[in-house]
Amino acid sequence: MRDLRVNKTGLAAVFAMLVMAPSFGAIRFADDEDDKDKQAEGGKEGEEDEDADEWFALLNAEVHTGTGSILRGASILAKNGRIEEIGYDLHVPDDAEVLDAGGMRAYPGLVAISSSGLFGGTSDLENTVDPYGRSMVLALASGITTAVQGNQAGKLKRGEVTDVVASSEVFVSLTYSKGDPRGKRTLREKFDAAAEYIRAYRQWEKDVKKDKELKAPKKPSDSATLKVLRGEVRAKFRANERTDLLEIARLATRYGFRPVIEGCAEGWTVADELGRAGAYAIVTPRSRRTKDEKLTHDAGSSIENAAILHRAGVQVAIVPGTTRIDLGGIVGRDIIHLPIEAGFAVRGGLPESAAFAAITIVPARMMGLSHRIGTLEVGKDCDLIVADGDVLHYQTFVQWAVVDGKIVYDKADELFFAHIRPRPESALAPETKVDAGETAVEEPAEAAGDPDDSED
Amino acid sequence: MMLTTLILAAAAPAATAVPTPKGDLLAIRVRRAETIANGTYEHAVILVEDGKIVTIGEDLPIERGIPILDLPDTWVVMPGLVNAYTRLGMTSQGYNDSKPGVLASTELWPGTSYEAALENGVTTLGQYPAGNGIPGQAVAVQPIGATKAEMTLADNVYLKIILRATGSSKKMIKDGFKEADKFLEKERKNREKWEKAQEKKKKKKKKSSSKKDKDKDDEKKDDEEKGDEEKGDDDEKKDDEKKKGDDEKKAEDDDEYVPLVPDAEAQAFLDLRAKTLRALVSISSAAQYEHLLDAIGDEEFDWDLRVGLTRNSDIFHVKDKIGASGRRVVVEPTLTLHPGTMRQRNLPAEFARAGAKIVLIPRSDSSTAYGSWLRNVGEIVAAGLDRDVALRALTQEPADLLGLGERFGSLEAGKDANLIFLNGDPFEPGTKVEAVMIGGKFEYGEVNL
Repeated sequence: MRDLRVNKTGLAAVFAMLVMAPSFGAIRFADDEDDKDKQAEGGKEGEEDEDADEWFALLNAEVHTGTGSILRGASILAKNGRIEEIGYDLHVPDDAEVLDAGGMRAYPGLVAISSSGLFGGTSDLENTVDPYGRSMVLALASGITTAVQGNQAGKLKRGEVTDVVASSEVFVSLTYSKGDPRGKRTLREKFDAAAEYIRAYRQWEKDVKKDKELKAPKKPSDSATLKVLRGEVRAKFRANERTDLLEIARLATRYGFRPVIEGCAEGWTVADELGRAGAYAIVTPRSRRTKDEKLTHDAGSSIENAAILHRAGVQVAIVPGTTRIDLGGIVGRDIIHLPIEAGFAVRGGLPESAAFAAITIVPARMMGLSHRIGTLEVGKDCDLIVADGDVLHYQTFVQWAVVDGKIVYDKADELFFAHIRPRPESALAPETKVDAGETAVEEPAEAAGDPDDSED
Repeated sequence: MMLTTLILAAAAPAATAVPTPKGDLLAIRVRRAETIANGTYEHAVILVEDGKIVTIGEDLPIERGIPILDLPDTWVVMPGLVNAYTRLGMTSQGYNDSKPGVLASTELWPGTSYEAALENGVTTLGQYPAGNGIPGQAVAVQPIGATKAEMTLADNVYLKIILRATGSSKKMIKDGFKEADKFLEKERKNREKWEKAQEKKKKKKKKSSSKKDKDKDDEKKDDEEKGDEEKGDDDEKKDDEKKKGDDEKKAEDDDEYVPLVPDAEAQAFLDLRAKTLRALVSISSAAQYEHLLDAIGDEEFDWDLRVGLTRNSDIFHVKDKIGASGRRVVVEPTLTLHPGTMRQRNLPAEFARAGAKIVLIPRSDSSTAYGSWLRNVGEIVAAGLDRDVALRALTQEPADLLGLGERFGSLEAGKDANLIFLNGDPFEPGTKVEAVMIGGKFEYGEVNL
């Protein structure tokens, strides 16, 4: 475990994900215009040539990569905002910005699959983001480094307004509910048209080689369903009721796409069906839904929902009940308590690793951004948090947040939480060699990082 | 208040033993003068002639016959205040989109409203056009004069841009430069067309002429093609060409190329690029500064900042960035609070310490604000702003912003004699402006000889 180096293998994993994630149930076309992944990569490479490289090094951390491995006392080296190496005894360039984690835990930055107000702007993120806003600081303090606002995914880059948007179209929102039979029929028709077009297009691709005059089939009027079937964007449904969930699962199976189901409160009653349909679920473990007592089948909410869905193979993401920063009412239910909400899923039986994945890699996958964020792997964006304990524990504070290899939050520097359990000195200062004898040197406390952590 | 008065009336020079060269000489003797350029002079003597400062120094001997204005011991003389950012005497109506060609000078209306400024020591004003977006260009005026022409010191002094963190606001700046590009492209094509036509003509005419001449022409054409796209260059080229034309063939003189004239909107942005016009960009938060940089991108032009200080301004986040750029920052002398706290921040002082050049303006355009302007500055000086920086921020810096730094802003030989006479230290509470001199003439208050 100690000597595990993740660079090569990590890269391989990223590639594997790049290849696998989009191809799952997706039909890709030769004329696909916006290959976002490639564009993003090309852009980054161009930058490297221009300026001197910017290095960032996180030293002496217990690195929870999010891929299953925990590397104690390891370091992470990032170049131009991307993770270059994870391991031990790394060579750190002189001009690197160095952060000594003092043995505290490093996690991938959290991903909020739904939020509002964190960027301080409007739906036009790129042009309206407030990179100095209070909401952004609070969100970073809660560990969030990427968040979906409206239908855009943005990174919480403090002090920067460029390259904030990570995805400009996260979902295609669809409705498919028994309350609206006509709407259901219309949606099916749209899917039919899209599927037919795709079939015709494939045929045309073959035929056009022989007969160059042949015209391409006409695109259907609804582009949303076409995008879904092509695997460009995932379809998101908002549904809680068992019947609706089943219907969505059937629809998805029939047309061959993986649905994202937001809410999914009664998902535990039809978990197998949802699992077989390859569904993603966005759940709020603490939400309550009463059962209609007339019903004979299972219904209503369950604290075990996330756990049961997970066991059935549904990829579960977690959001708190309120997706903005809420300064009224009872504390602890808004977006800045994202990890705590995940903790409640653990209470309901979800394995801790799955609960953590539910606020990192799973939402990243839903958005098609798993090649950039969600875990700590070589080649991915250097978005990480350093926490003084288990990130899902209510007592834990995020001490530092790093986005794209830049420190964007330091608990000791912000007015919000600096005074609560101030960071131990030893965590601040790396072990320094002091002349023995003269002055009594305080022991650099080993356990200073997480005194309350019982999990280790 | 007692005035120690010496000296004679305006007719005096004629009566003196030593005839003075140009009539209008006046020596001002004051206990203390804030020169701005060279710090504080004790026992200063300022020699004024024909509206200009001829010389200034400490304890200078004064030639006999020159009328001397001896000021009371407590008095201080300093250059007239410059308020580079005001709409004094103007309405608040304006456009809400991009109108870079609009001139504030068109709204100028000489009237009594300028008295408040004058009485409080303001001798130069920069008046900007109202509105949002890009409302237009500012004009520099003096608070005296019965007509627009008498008031106006310089037009087109800066282009006002208001930037907000919205897509449309950012687009205005980008679009402005795009318009300029479009014009240049049009101009280039027009020129090419003209050149081709010219070539045809020559060929026709030159069927008989020698080969040597033709080679020369080709050379000339090459030169032209190398020419930059900038309008200034074009003009030069045109001149060159004209000369050549004169030398070589007089017949073609009338076929001279006439460059297109850009519209006012494109012209403003062409001027920005050519750095004959500067921009004053108004922002109010740190985020807007970042968006401004994003909107400007790689464009290079001179710009300064106007930062409206609100109670909870978060502009301190970018003070170091702004400071490092060495730009001017136009702010009001006011203390703000750190957001979410009751902790006071002295942002003007923070900007100055970070390396920015500060321009201080009254808190508003009301006569009370003008009345308390110096006192307000005194407050932030007491709270930590460097005194010399504060003095500069009231005089030389705003004068430079208006492009009039050579004429106003300090007490130096050769500059206009725009002086204000205070009955005490400018930043002490209770100090009053006793008299104001513009161009060597007392325009407000009387100081008897």
